[in-house]
Amino acid sequence: MNGPSTAAAFAETATPLHFLSVTEASRLIGSGRLSPVTLVEAFLARIEAIDARLKSYITVTGTRALEAAQKAEAEIPAGRWKGPLHGIPFAVKDNYHVAGLPTTGGSRLMLDYMADATSTAVARLEAAGAILLGKLNTWEYGTGNGGVYHDLPFEVARNPWDLACFTGGSSTGAGASVAAGTAMFALGSDTGGSIRLPAAACGLQGFKATFGRVSRAHCLPNCWTLDHTGPLTWTVEDNAIVMQAISGFDPADPSSADVAVPDYRKSLHAGVKGLVIGFVRDLGAEGEALDDANAQALEDAARVLEAQGAIIREVTLPAPLAHYRSVTKVINWSESYSIHEQDFLERSALMGQALREKMMSGFNVRAADYLAATRLRRSLVDATDALVRSCDALLIAGAFHVAPRFDAPDTVTPFTADTATTVFNVTGHPALSVCTGYDPGGLPLNAQIVGRFFDEETVLRVAQSYEAATPWRSRRPTL
Amino acid sequence: MSDLQTPTIEEIRLYAARHGLQGLPEDQFARLGELAQTVREAGLALPRMPSKEDEPAHLFTMTAPRGTK
Repeated sequence: MNGPSTAAAFAETATPLHFLSVTEASRLIGSGRLSPVTLVEAFLARIEAIDARLKSYITVTGTRALEAAQKAEAEIPAGRWKGPLHGIPFAVKDNYHVAGLPTTGGSRLMLDYMADATSTAVARLEAAGAILLGKLNTWEYGTGNGGVYHDLPFEVARNPWDLACFTGGSSTGAGASVAAGTAMFALGSDTGGSIRLPAAACGLQGFKATFGRVSRAHCLPNCWTLDHTGPLTWTVEDNAIVMQAISGFDPADPSSADVAVPDYRKSLHAGVKGLVIGFVRDLGAEGEALDDANAQALEDAARVLEAQGAIIREVTLPAPLAHYRSVTKVINWSESYSIHEQDFLERSALMGQALREKMMSGFNVRAADYLAATRLRRSLVDATDALVRSCDALLIAGAFHVAPRFDAPDTVTPFTADTATTVFNVTGHPALSVCTGYDPGGLPLNAQIVGRFFDEETVLRVAQSYEAATPWRSRRPTL
Repeated sequence: MSDLQTPTIEEIRLYAARHGLQGLPEDQFARLGELAQTVREAGLALPRMPSKEDEPAHLFTMTAPRGTK
């Protein structure tokens, strides 16, 4: 192996390899200054050093990753560089199937399951040269009732900013790993906020794209109407790079949209001058739960974008937040129950309390109420889309609270419930959670940037402009 | 919503048996009854659409012709 040494790469970047962004590592690898093997070894060493405390992984695939890194190391100097993800280590929530690897879904019900197909998103990343490090911790089947009961077969992931705190769910390991540097980026899934809430709690950029933009094929389903897949990254540009690889039509996913994918980095640095940003400051009665630090950070974000030349226009959602939440609950309970009905009827004792309670809810939903929710959803989609189309993007709160502490379990469920993330699962619009700073205790703050259907490009552009104008990417958790 | 009655344990056991639920831990039946009421309230809280012609949102309506944005 002729790649440069770890010491040389450290010297060149002055950043530990596990804290390089995808963008930085890609430049170093593409120019031959960083070896993919060295990079993967650095991440495996990081996992070895801290994951016994962090619990970000369920399965680490070190041998497989090193083999892929050696292959990349041979390909790149031979002129077969595949692009910015070639040699970049990543991990996926353990509800993405990868052929030949176990998928547990974080559940006792799946402890012996071996996948025989690979999720389209992972296949696309590997085709782009990215290197899978393993499968990440998750709430059981990526869902639950919002609570954490410490009763699953894998210990709950910890927040790298404070190990006494929750990561946000359900993509718990994805949030923990990218913030702590046990993966350079991660894929999660999002039914009511499960990409954006861990991103919010762990200080990341988490993107739930337009419904149908990123394939769900060969991922464990939770709720067909509301499920999305997508990336959690340290920077917005990293997110654009990953989105470029995983977006696009997939005939294996019946909900996939056959819509052309633009070059997400083409206008990434174009700024926001002249863009109209709809600022959803008032979220009605439910918005009163937004904590002071997040509320102030949201105001500050609007000012930052305005200073960059955006036109800030105050707008309101066309319906109470409660309506979106009710629709989400009833649809989610019903469809999730439909998926897990046989397991619930026959072996509910094997489920953790969070999933079992969700099943008990789904067991009781009337068909008329499920259809009332889907009928209301249609009107919410139309009305919300009219609002989104009246602007270039929206700025709105995401998670209302900072990461809750495990020793205050009564605050865990409100972290999951008090959000404006479900709005865009109901409507399908692209919504990106951005880090908007830190509270006085050092825990990350957040907001959402939302765009028109299939206009992920503008969402990323606005987020990039905000990120570049703020200092939040200069801080990392210490572990 | 408060006039809704939480089902009794006997009622919830009968409902569970009628729908084939086996093996639910014994200590969970009371919770199943509480959740039955919570779910009923959530369903009733959903505003009903004004017209019989208002259709549900179907799963696959976000697709657009290739090349549109």
